[in-house]
Amino acid sequence: MAEDTPLNPGAPGSDPELDELRDALDALRSQIRSRFPVPRERRAGPPDWEGLFRELRRRLSTLGMIERSGEVDEFGMDEVVLRRARPLLEFLAERYWRLEVDGLERLPEKGPCLVVANRSGLLPYDGLVLAQVIERARPLAERPRFFVADWLITLPFVQPYLARLGGVRACRENAERLLGAGRFVIAFPEGAKGATKVFRERYRIQRFGRGGVVRIALERRVPLIPVGIVGAEEAHPVLFKWNAPGRRLGLPFLPVTPTFPLLGPLGLLPLPAKWVMRIGEALPLDHLEPDAADDELLISRLTADLRERIQGLVDEGLSQRESIWG
Amino acid sequence: MGEQRAPGSARAGDPEGSRIRKGAGLGAPGVIAVTGLGTFLGRGVVERLLARSSELRVVGLDHRHPFRLDDRVRFHRIDLTEPTADSRLAEILRRERAEALVHAAFRSRPTPDLEMDHELETIGSLHVMNACAAAKVKRLVLASSTMLYGPYPDNPNFLSESHRLRGHPHAHCVQNRVEAESLLAEWRERYPDTEVTVLRPCWIMGPRHWDHVTGYFSLPVVPKVMGYDPLLQFVHEEDCLHAFERATLAPHPGVFNVVGRGVLPLSTLLRLAGKRPLSLPGPLLHRMASYPTQAQTGDPPSAFYDYLRYLWVADGQRGWEAFGEPTYTTKEAWISFVSSRRMRRYR
Repeated sequence: MAEDTPLNPGAPGSDPELDELRDALDALRSQIRSRFPVPRERRAGPPDWEGLFRELRRRLSTLGMIERSGEVDEFGMDEVVLRRARPLLEFLAERYWRLEVDGLERLPEKGPCLVVANRSGLLPYDGLVLAQVIERARPLAERPRFFVADWLITLPFVQPYLARLGGVRACRENAERLLGAGRFVIAFPEGAKGATKVFRERYRIQRFGRGGVVRIALERRVPLIPVGIVGAEEAHPVLFKWNAPGRRLGLPFLPVTPTFPLLGPLGLLPLPAKWVMRIGEALPLDHLEPDAADDELLISRLTADLRERIQGLVDEGLSQRESIWG
Repeated sequence: MGEQRAPGSARAGDPEGSRIRKGAGLGAPGVIAVTGLGTFLGRGVVERLLARSSELRVVGLDHRHPFRLDDRVRFHRIDLTEPTADSRLAEILRRERAEALVHAAFRSRPTPDLEMDHELETIGSLHVMNACAAAKVKRLVLASSTMLYGPYPDNPNFLSESHRLRGHPHAHCVQNRVEAESLLAEWRERYPDTEVTVLRPCWIMGPRHWDHVTGYFSLPVVPKVMGYDPLLQFVHEEDCLHAFERATLAPHPGVFNVVGRGVLPLSTLLRLAGKRPLSLPGPLLHRMASYPTQAQTGDPPSAFYDYLRYLWVADGQRGWEAFGEPTYTTKEAWISFVSSRRMRRYR
């Protein structure tokens, strides 16, 4: 323990060299401190009402996600908004819905890739969360885009946010452009039928459009990954559809959930159901001939196959989950 | 009759140059006629052509003599709304030996005189086409607009040139021009010898350009539809004129979107300009703006505000490949417009 003494600051003058060093260090510290602004001290006395008011006004004026970048990408996705939304999405997925993901290794390393999932719940939480999951699993690829049905992407007050968060109108031209750029694309071929089905029909996968997803995958020769999402149905359980007031608002119908028209906008908050996401094997397309995209019968057969696979994934997910909430 | 001593070749311009070039066929034309000399596009194209080379001879056509016209432009007064405008125009074109024609005689802002607008834009274009056929003009460049695709909720994010022109049912100027383009498509099949170039610029922004769109954006408080924030794209006036110049001087048959790179949401644009948006619910906005816009443009407000609701962004890839990369992106074009009008308010 005798070696400790020279380092002990309680013994000044024991070693002149050490003293010198200490002085030099002090000088250096004060130099460094002078370069940084002095932290504002908490003042006692009357609070700064004017400053508080100014701050409050600034916060209020930036409430509507106005804090965004001056640039968006060509589909309107805003990196700044996304950066602010990511923690919220993470919280929703991890804590609120306690999401379990199976089969992440089945995703290809990079795009282009077409991920096909079942659509459920009114607002596209499933698309947002799946995009988040894929982005986390494949950080090198660009953030996946999810397709949004027409009625949702043109819905007032919803449209600006969806576009900034990476939602794209579901149509053939957009799919070709996104896949051409080598991106992951999340498609929900059930379309509006899936999003608007009532709670009684939950987890029963609807007809898959007109086979557009399979056709594009065949033409572009991109992998087609089925995904089953369980839990989003309970986020907004639509009890029944109320047609008359919905038409007045320009919607196809007004969804009635246990909370929605009752609690006003607060009712739009999703319920904390347990989510399970199962990623399946890619649909085998490699053995098909190059002109397979013209074979309508083949396309409808493959579409039915894809639908069955997703139904199977959803059923597996349902049995994996003990109850809706746990 | 028109064969004896073309009056143009005796004086201004460079008759030799044009005659030599004429033998070259469809290369660079020696005599270029421009309709709508008073419009921004017509004037800009003429200025650029004159600045480019002294060998070019430019024939300017409009229904009134523009203020401060360059001496080198051979001006002819012609009213395209007259019933016999086509034969008069053909006579002028034949006498001047015009080889290319740029048709830019379109309203920069719609007027309440719906019939007159129709006469000028649709029938006037028809007259121009017929005159071109009669005078055997070799190249016809039509100034169109991406507004002709129309704002629709089911538009893809990027409209290609082959997309159907749906226009807007209430915007009479857009409908007239859609009709003019369909007439031109028919005409092109009947006269395959003439090279037809259709340029569709999106909203043009820049220090000098002025139309109802820039007028709207220059308002002190900009009304917009609440809950909608569409992506918009602009092209800078210099890039637009450059495309017109290239299309006039070199063969580029076909249809081209002339747009800048990049898109920006309306709210971001207004924030960049430091403008205060006034978001009103759609029905209220339409009711409030109904009488003023009917008086100013002859259309209900939806004819303009739908363009600020739904997507109508065009894909410019084809145009960029043909006429070169634009120097200004959408954002730069917007900044150029904003800074030139001194409307940036720093808050």
